[in-house]
Amino acid sequence: MYKQWFGNWKRRLVQLVSLGIIGEWSFYGIFRCPFAVPYIGCGNCPVIQCPGRNLWMWGWILMGLSAVLFGRVFCGWICPGGLVSEILSMGAFFKNKINRIASNLFSVGKYIVLALSLYLFFVANNPRWAIPIRTGEFFKSVGLTFEHADPIWIYKTMAILIALGLSIFIPMFWCRFFCPTGGALELLSRFSLFRFITNEKCTSCDRCLKMCAMETRPSESNCVQCGDCLDTCKLDAVEWRSRIRST
Amino acid sequence: MEKNGLSRRRFLKTGGLALGAGLAAASPGFSQTYAQESLQVWSCGGLAEAFQPANHEFEKLTKASIAYTGAFAGALGKSLLTGSARTEVFGPRVLELAKKLKAQGKMLWFKPLCFTQYVVATPKGNPAGIESIKDMGKSGVKTILAPEASPPGGKASMIILKKAGVEDKARANAVFVGDCVQTAVTDLVTGKADAAVIEKRIIHLPQFRGKLDTLPIPEAFIPPAPVPFTIGVMKWAKNRALAEAFVDFILSDKGQVWFHRAGFIPAQTEEGQRLTRKYGVMDV
Repeated sequence: MYKQWFGNWKRRLVQLVSLGIIGEWSFYGIFRCPFAVPYIGCGNCPVIQCPGRNLWMWGWILMGLSAVLFGRVFCGWICPGGLVSEILSMGAFFKNKINRIASNLFSVGKYIVLALSLYLFFVANNPRWAIPIRTGEFFKSVGLTFEHADPIWIYKTMAILIALGLSIFIPMFWCRFFCPTGGALELLSRFSLFRFITNEKCTSCDRCLKMCAMETRPSESNCVQCGDCLDTCKLDAVEWRSRIRST
Repeated sequence: MEKNGLSRRRFLKTGGLALGAGLAAASPGFSQTYAQESLQVWSCGGLAEAFQPANHEFEKLTKASIAYTGAFAGALGKSLLTGSARTEVFGPRVLELAKKLKAQGKMLWFKPLCFTQYVVATPKGNPAGIESIKDMGKSGVKTILAPEASPPGGKASMIILKKAGVEDKARANAVFVGDCVQTAVTDLVTGKADAAVIEKRIIHLPQFRGKLDTLPIPEAFIPPAPVPFTIGVMKWAKNRALAEAFVDFILSDKGQVWFHRAGFIPAQTEEGQRLTRKYGVMDV
């Protein structure tokens, strides 16, 4: 476990730096954002303490660019939610117990949540389901938000927390099956210019799959380009490849 | 000035000396140190842009720390009236809320704080040539409405349009009908709409500052409930002296200037005192 956690120390370092930069925004998005779809209404959000007011536009531009260049690298290297999921998944009870067919089937969930989010944002004008506690001590404000929000906001927030928490049982539950951002980046990643792939040396021994936190193989669905699988392959069958060069 | 035997020069000189003396007398109260002490302050969220810098000033002067929460006054009021919530100083919108808290013995006393203003906002330069609220009912004028927003932004604006006799036509002219005033105003800034009835404080928010023009609305059209704000000390104040010093500071020139800058009429001004009398903002 130690080797898996600290083996890819560069990724851990980037995750920690990212946690310092956008971790607070993530926290606000889950617990304090008054909108149905968090993180994207920041330009008009009345929660004046939220750092998202300064970060959101560049955040989304860079996220989209990163997906076109490097696939779901945001999920694997930058997303604080991903880091939390990884920590919760460390001792998951059902590691490598969900078969691939079921995993692929459940993965559709993130596209359903993405479609719902797009509908709420573009068609329903991203309604506010919570009382916008404009400023204030974080945890007291969270308490007030739970006390006064529409039930639908509470259901949504509880669903996110439960899906994150389920990582204790099924590794990376939220990231693999429900995260709409992950779903959007997954779609963009199909066009990514650089990615980890398995080459012709691969014998499908699945060592990479067994050690992968997302329980997938390089370049396949849910691969977050973390690179953790690189050293597990004894045949050097995992490589970082540029699509430009290979074509 | 001359006919009262007081020249302009003498008036300014005397006034300046009086102001200086007043500030000098007032300063010791605000500069008393409350290091290590903290004070919990809640207010209606609309006041957040004014309270934040004012709180910071008070913290600098007294070394006290202010834990501030600004939110929809209805929610905070409900928490205080019927829930288990507690705070030490509260600045609610709607006079009735202050009176109810006082009647329950939860608020010890309150004073008038400031008054909000409603205006017709147009994009910068007023390209549609809107001259008054009545024009929001003219055909071809694109309006924006947020009837589902919290009452001060939504319901009050609709009442104003109704009293002006243009509610139905303004609805028919609406290019945006939503539940968020700030989202609606974005459409005004970008020129997708021509006019909206909003609180003047909205045009002072950083994202809209300098991007809108305004026209006044006759006072007869404006419903009284959302206009006055009060501030009072609650029974849970652990350090009454600190809580009272804070309220004194907020009601002083140094504190009230932030409310003026955020688009409110401070209670201590001549206009504020007229509105205090008009709306009967009195602690009884």
